[in-house]
Amino acid sequence: MDVELIEIREFLAAHPPFDLLPDEVLDTLPQLLTVRYLRRGVDFPPEHGEAPPAILLRMGAVELRDDEGRLLQKLCEGDIYTGACPDTAEALATKGKCVEDSLLYLLPCDALQSLRQRFTPFNSYFEQSIRLRLQQAISQLQQSQGNISNLMSLDSGALIRREPVSIAPEASIRQAAQLMSEQRVSSLLITEQQQLLGIVTDRDLRQRCIATGTDTAEAVSSIMSREIFTLEAERPAFDALMEMTRRQIHHLPVTRSGALLGVLSATDLLHQHSLNTVSIVGRIRRSSTTDELVETAQELPELQLQLIQSGMTADHLTQALCAVTDALSQRLLTLAEEKLGSPPVPYVWLVCGSQARREQTAFSDQDNALLIDDALQPEHESWFAELARFVSDGLARCGFEYCPGEVMATNPKWRQPLREWRRYFSQWINSPEPMALMHSSIFFDMRPLHGEEALYTPLRDEVLAQCRENRIFLHYMAANALKHRPPLGFFRQFVLVHDGEHDDSLDLKHRGVIPVVDLARVFALSAALPQLNTQERLRAAEQAGALSRDGAEDLLHALEFIATLRARHQAEQQLAGEALDNYVRPETLSRLERTQLKDAFAAIRAMQEAMEQRYQTARFA
Amino acid sequence: MFASLLSLDYRRKRLLKRLPPGVMRDFYAVPFPSRSSDCRELEFAALDLETTGLNPQQDEILSVGLVILRGEQIELQSATHRLVRPQSDIPENSAVIHHITDDHAATGESLAQVLTELLPLLAGKVLIAHHARFELQFLRTACERHFGCRFFMPTIDTQEVARRTLERRNQSFRPQQMRLAELRERYHLPRYRLHNALSDALAAAELFLAQLAQHDLSRPVAVKNFLLKV
Repeated sequence: MDVELIEIREFLAAHPPFDLLPDEVLDTLPQLLTVRYLRRGVDFPPEHGEAPPAILLRMGAVELRDDEGRLLQKLCEGDIYTGACPDTAEALATKGKCVEDSLLYLLPCDALQSLRQRFTPFNSYFEQSIRLRLQQAISQLQQSQGNISNLMSLDSGALIRREPVSIAPEASIRQAAQLMSEQRVSSLLITEQQQLLGIVTDRDLRQRCIATGTDTAEAVSSIMSREIFTLEAERPAFDALMEMTRRQIHHLPVTRSGALLGVLSATDLLHQHSLNTVSIVGRIRRSSTTDELVETAQELPELQLQLIQSGMTADHLTQALCAVTDALSQRLLTLAEEKLGSPPVPYVWLVCGSQARREQTAFSDQDNALLIDDALQPEHESWFAELARFVSDGLARCGFEYCPGEVMATNPKWRQPLREWRRYFSQWINSPEPMALMHSSIFFDMRPLHGEEALYTPLRDEVLAQCRENRIFLHYMAANALKHRPPLGFFRQFVLVHDGEHDDSLDLKHRGVIPVVDLARVFALSAALPQLNTQERLRAAEQAGALSRDGAEDLLHALEFIATLRARHQAEQQLAGEALDNYVRPETLSRLERTQLKDAFAAIRAMQEAMEQRYQTARFA
Repeated sequence: MFASLLSLDYRRKRLLKRLPPGVMRDFYAVPFPSRSSDCRELEFAALDLETTGLNPQQDEILSVGLVILRGEQIELQSATHRLVRPQSDIPENSAVIHHITDDHAATGESLAQVLTELLPLLAGKVLIAHHARFELQFLRTACERHFGCRFFMPTIDTQEVARRTLERRNQSFRPQQMRLAELRERYHLPRYRLHNALSDALAAAELFLAQLAQHDLSRPVAVKNFLLKV
């Protein structure tokens, strides 16, 4: 009869990794099991004879602790424990206890092993390397979001449709225009002996020739753009999009092994993307009032949604959004200068925190500051106060809320001449106080956005040099970086927190993203690395030897997985018309996602522990 | 204390002397476990029968479910389910309970055949069933009819164990609280769909493990604590 042990078969079929097994294997699997019942308070795993088993919890709950009694994991219905089996990734240590009456299914380890050998997907669940599992998880997450965006999977070179069209620098403007019409191109490269000298576009012809009344018999080199940025063909098309957006250009020469391959235009990219960052940034650049900017900014959530649905990873998403935020801020600054007149002394507008790291989501808080030339006089202050007010209010109207911690240029404290900024940093670095340092860590993620960049560069270099030298400062920064801990995992509908407490929902930002961001900052400062973006910091730290290759890979994967999950969560909220937040309820996660998240948490925790050891943070907390 | 297991094994030996070779003789040839044995050293057979009705004289066995326990471990490899071909039609009021139809039952084996397979699995073990008197009565009738022999063996009735536990604590209880599903819930065991002979046998086996786990397992737990009085 076909109903044999149907209760047990159904349970297996509903729980990973057994749900990955074919039906005929599931039909016979129950026969390999033995059943045990352990009362609350009894040691786990139960003693076994000569053959150790893997244990699947059918009912009840088990806590696993390390030798020092710290909670490692809490198992519940459907969880599998392989700690007694040889060759498993499970933590060695573990003394367990049933914390509820528990019904267990025992599967001999050799039977498990043979299933693993026969079925690859089943096996990958037990894969030893968290790294491999996380890699898989990220690609699964992207696939579940629809097509992988062409922009990420395509090389820039693959989008080049034709040979480059070029002309010599001494040719006339008229000849250049004729060639462009003939060849139906909107840009022309100016080359001499295979060397790229410059580029002329339709817009240059309009703005630099016709509008100014320049004689078309003059050499085309007189109206070309000279400092040309080129992109290697191997870089993803996404990078081309980002470079165009950031540099506010529409044509990008692409090279392969140093040789010109062709020109990529914004239109080429537009074909790959419907609502595209380049066109939004273009509109921002053309806006002449705050009202127009506010109108364009309303498209940001829709842009975010589209980018997520196109299968973009969180890193690419935040980079794209950040390009738009940067453009908005820059445009507001230009509008402010138009209104207030030119600045009385040089200044640079700095962005801080997530915008500086290019890790912003649509509608993060605004964090900014003003660095002013030391020639600043008291009578100049009102000009800068008004500038800050204009930009900050404009950003708020565009949807970027005022910073609750008042880290804004509107706050006089963060609108200071260079010598004051030097004094601030010197104090934070040379006589660190835990509280002050906690609030100031945002200033160690800082990027010039508009104005005299030359004001900022020396300050940054001084700060980095001081950071590296000052061990005590690094100890405190490390202690700060360990304030946010990832949870242990999940237990039923709860998030299992470090001390064994439960949370109802998982804060993906503070328990997932921020811990990695904080770690990366310490690595970067300890090696005096100028990078700001967390991924770039981790890669640079690895290059500089401040972080092991495995450590960097683990953190990168963990961050990417958690941040992408967060982006997807926010996209779902947006679709449902809800307010966006970072809180995910465990019951909305699939069992697989829970396992994958647990891997990501484990990777972060391992690096936090390494940092704890290295900086002896317990003494500096 | 005539109702002791010692006398049960005495009865077994006396009966064995008179039995002709066959299934029943083989069954009684294996000694019954000693009443003082630690449960962890014994083997148990959890059994459930689905029948056409409640009267062992008139009604028939339709299916048998059985699972073996070695100490405090249920061996699912031993799980057995057998359909029995009844002599007469299955009454509708029983079919709604066990979902065995006439067509389905017709694919079964004869009761004699099923008993012949079943009895060797029971020999030397302790029987476990929920409301075991029911299973015992039907087995007794079946053995008498088909082999002309009495049937008895040491038995644990999980319902009786539960009742005694509550009575010892002077707790009052309603009859429906003594049902298998309700008792399982009490011990935090999963909800099964009942009235499949194998599911019910497994359900009783797990209930017994839970009842056993209530004892101090650092010391031997004698099986006589659980045995049904005969």
